[in-house]
Amino acid sequence: MAKVKLSGIRKSFGQSEVIKGIDLEIPAGSFCAFVGPSGCGKSTLLRMIAGLEDITHGSLEIGGQEMIDVAPAKRGVAMVFQSYALYPHMTVAENVTFGLRMANHPKRDTEQRCLEAARMLKLEELLDRKPSQLSGGQRQRVAIGRAIVRNPDVFLFDEPLSNLDAALRVEMRAEITRLHAKLDATMLYVTHDQVEAMTMADMIVVLDKGMIEQVGSPLGLYHEPNTLFVARFIGSPRMNTFSVNLCDAGDGNVSCMLPGGSSIQLDGSSLRTGKATFGIRPEHLDVVADGHLQGKAVLCERLGSETMLHVDIGLADPITVKADGLTNVTEGDAVGLKLNPKACHLFGPDDRRVRSGSLQ
Amino acid sequence: MFPTPIERTQPRTRFAYKVFLPIALILWLLPLLGVALTSVKPAADLDSGNYFGAPSRIAIENYWLVFKNSNIGYYFWNSIKVTVPSVLVSIGLSLLAGFALATYSFRSNLIIFFMIVAGNYVPYQILAIPVRDLPININLYDTTLGLALTHIAFQTGFCTLFMRNFIKALPNALIESARVEGVSEWRIFCYIVVPLVRPAIAALSVLIFTFVWNEYFWATIMSQSVDVRPVTAGINELSGEWKARWELISAASILTAAPPVLMFFLMQKHFIAGLALGATKG
Repeated sequence: MAKVKLSGIRKSFGQSEVIKGIDLEIPAGSFCAFVGPSGCGKSTLLRMIAGLEDITHGSLEIGGQEMIDVAPAKRGVAMVFQSYALYPHMTVAENVTFGLRMANHPKRDTEQRCLEAARMLKLEELLDRKPSQLSGGQRQRVAIGRAIVRNPDVFLFDEPLSNLDAALRVEMRAEITRLHAKLDATMLYVTHDQVEAMTMADMIVVLDKGMIEQVGSPLGLYHEPNTLFVARFIGSPRMNTFSVNLCDAGDGNVSCMLPGGSSIQLDGSSLRTGKATFGIRPEHLDVVADGHLQGKAVLCERLGSETMLHVDIGLADPITVKADGLTNVTEGDAVGLKLNPKACHLFGPDDRRVRSGSLQ
Repeated sequence: MFPTPIERTQPRTRFAYKVFLPIALILWLLPLLGVALTSVKPAADLDSGNYFGAPSRIAIENYWLVFKNSNIGYYFWNSIKVTVPSVLVSIGLSLLAGFALATYSFRSNLIIFFMIVAGNYVPYQILAIPVRDLPININLYDTTLGLALTHIAFQTGFCTLFMRNFIKALPNALIESARVEGVSEWRIFCYIVVPLVRPAIAALSVLIFTFVWNEYFWATIMSQSVDVRPVTAGINELSGEWKARWELISAASILTAAPPVLMFFLMQKHFIAGLALGATKG
């Protein structure tokens, strides 16, 4: 268990800078997820922590020690790759113990650790098989086992579940969470799947274009996104956003002109007048006969437990509404939408939050 | 199904297939058949002008006589002494060079690689004079070592091109994962890269063995003495010794051609696996 501290980390590939100054402190024992769209630099960041990529500028500390010039093997990290990276010509046991054997680790202890990891990951029966004889989930578990036997201070996961099918992914998610509790190690986890980040991590780092957009707990990011990017990135289906005009309504309130002509009064906005971006999550819109917004349902996706209504309110894109699973709205129906004022987010012209819709 | 089985094609196509396939086969195999036939003819047949007809009897003793009446036994041994080290060293060197070119990014990586590729396109005949002069100057002319070094120099470039691309096709994560585990580069090379490119090594060994064994140009230029001359050049000498005894020359030729063919059939499985593996990225 060790804490990881990044300060002023930058990375350039030739002319183009992909990581543009990252300051981050990950407490020991936490499960930290890096999320962001493809190309945001999250994998590069992880590979820099692993030592597979040089750090162009800045400092990296693991467990209080500067690691910039330290070889990957000496950083006390173990990495699990997206492609599993199992050696195809070795059995599961040989794969798991390869690093230890190459380091001339005592034989007895190597076997011990291999068996322990196998027990933890339910791989005991498979130790003599070759990777080609394993299923995707089993391969992933071997890859994790290979990391466990090294007893690292920090685990690095690079999109480990993205090659698995949906059901297995849910299972492995729970398994990795359980491992984290049992091993008590710091885990850094890169994913583009926000569900993985939300369910597993206790700390999420949202990255975009090589910079940190926001760091926080899963629910913190969900309820109080600092920027429009985070608001749109976290939550599925994503938050509805459209631009509105604000005018001061006195008593600390602002009045937002909504599409369709009606307006809503909101408190606590730091921006009083002018253009802003209005954001509301699909679950905070209620279908009513006469609401703040009027529109026409253009698509109903019935998922059983809920129905996703795509409602055209005269904007370029329809907005999404999460309605009851048994709603009788059908495509083509006129619907009214009521907004919960406590759930309305406002973002200023610089896309930063001016009002939080945290339901408080 | 592709290609369409011949039984399901139009009658015209089937007819053309049945006529031209045997013709093509015979044309292709004719020289070899001719040599094989001559090699079992008694000397009397050739003396009496029976060049193209059937042998009057199968004179299998030609294969003994060629050993008895010439130095071909030495020449065979010389060929082995040149070919085996050439194969081992050029494959060993190209594995190392290929590994470096495929896995390390250093500034001159691509330049070196392109130079190696380009080197393969230089017609080696134009290098005959300098390549002959160099061993003369360093006292390696007409030695097995000199000939082997020449072959190694000329084959390693092609092998490196082949190996570099093969190693490049291995998933990079395998090497990175070993690095994070603290495995040294040399051990990564020995325990991960070499076992995984075994099909390529097998395929390349057969190819290089065939190239070097069958090589005639450098064999004639770089060797003179009986202790050095490989069998390909040695046969040439036979034609001077027995102008009329074509049956012995043919027998020697068949014997010379045998080792690469044998090697190919022994390694055939690996050879084909290797070609496929390279193409599909495993």
